[in-house]
Amino acid sequence: MTDAPLTPHEADDALAAEYVLGVLSLSERAEVEARLKRDAAFADLVSGWEHRMAGLNDGFEAAPAPDLLPRIEARLFPRAPLPKRRSGLFGWLSGATVAAVLALASIATLAPPHQEPIARLATEDNRLVYAVTHFGDTMQITRVAGVPAVAGQVHELWIIEPDSAPVSLGLLEDKPLVITLPDPPETYVLAVTVEPEGGAPGGIPTGPVILKANVGDAA
Amino acid sequence: MDDPVAALIAKCAAADRVAFRALYRDTSAKLMGVLLRMLRERTEAEDALQEVYTRVWLRAGRYDPAKGRGMTWLIAIARNLAIDRLRARPEAQSDDGLDTVQDSAPRAETRLVAQGEARRMADCFGTLEPDRADAVKGAYLNGYSYVELAARHAVPLNTMRTWLRRSLLKLKECLDA
Repeated sequence: MTDAPLTPHEADDALAAEYVLGVLSLSERAEVEARLKRDAAFADLVSGWEHRMAGLNDGFEAAPAPDLLPRIEARLFPRAPLPKRRSGLFGWLSGATVAAVLALASIATLAPPHQEPIARLATEDNRLVYAVTHFGDTMQITRVAGVPAVAGQVHELWIIEPDSAPVSLGLLEDKPLVITLPDPPETYVLAVTVEPEGGAPGGIPTGPVILKANVGDAA
Repeated sequence: MDDPVAALIAKCAAADRVAFRALYRDTSAKLMGVLLRMLRERTEAEDALQEVYTRVWLRAGRYDPAKGRGMTWLIAIARNLAIDRLRARPEAQSDDGLDTVQDSAPRAETRLVAQGEARRMADCFGTLEPDRADAVKGAYLNGYSYVELAARHAVPLNTMRTWLRRSLLKLKECLDA
């Protein structure tokens, strides 16, 4: 083989291949992973190599695996049992009215003053508490006790109209979440789930419901 | 497209826990095989398996069937985790495993000649010089680092890197043809 230097594209492609092959050091791998998040073209090179090398996967012989499901599920779904039959994750049926209400909603940047409490999302021991307030067309959700979700996870707020599917209102992080939302009726329920970083994929809750309150239940 | 694993991953992305159990039942033996071969220790492989399925559930929404088969995606997650753990080990520890690994390597490689997709792979590996083909396969299947490959093939690290990069690009040319 002649040893002409690699073109920049070839060098990127070779780096993607080295990453997939696994020969890089830990720090080089971390650099590649950081780049994967911001460089879609490079990420495509990596998935191209994953696909290309898949022909080698027959070289891995299956081995008996212990049943680790109980441990995995306990970690992923704390306190939330496997749903009985197909009743939807939280027993909510689908519906579109909430979506219609929220079509008007958008994220506001500033919270207006004199918020009136309309709900309180809290654990029994009050170690984690979100206060929900409302003023005019704005609803604000503020964490008043506890800490955010662990790294890699996030708390996500949902609103549920009776007999309807939950609709995401956004992610609860360090800053208060402010939503433009005209008077939510008292029959609506607010819930918080634990979701992977970035929020529930596809707008459908995946994690356990950790907090739940009716609108109007601010006590 | 007939890819039952991909269908289960799609259901996991929609929070279907029954599908998650089916996915574990149908794919955990293969992923255990990947982790055992690369990590070479049962306890660590079992611990890694737990982590792999946790990631699978949390990342299921990012799986794109247009980019590859479900099993390929699962194996990529398992291999990436195994490689991260291998690279995080102190150097001496990974050298200890070399002897045991050598025994199991040729068996899997002869199996490559067997079927369809793997057949094409084997043909393309045939276009590489044998020791370079071995280096690529050893890295992929056993998780060897550049340092380990250089030691095994008794060449300087930089030479190994040049070899391997050229071999990979040559392999691509053949596989994509």
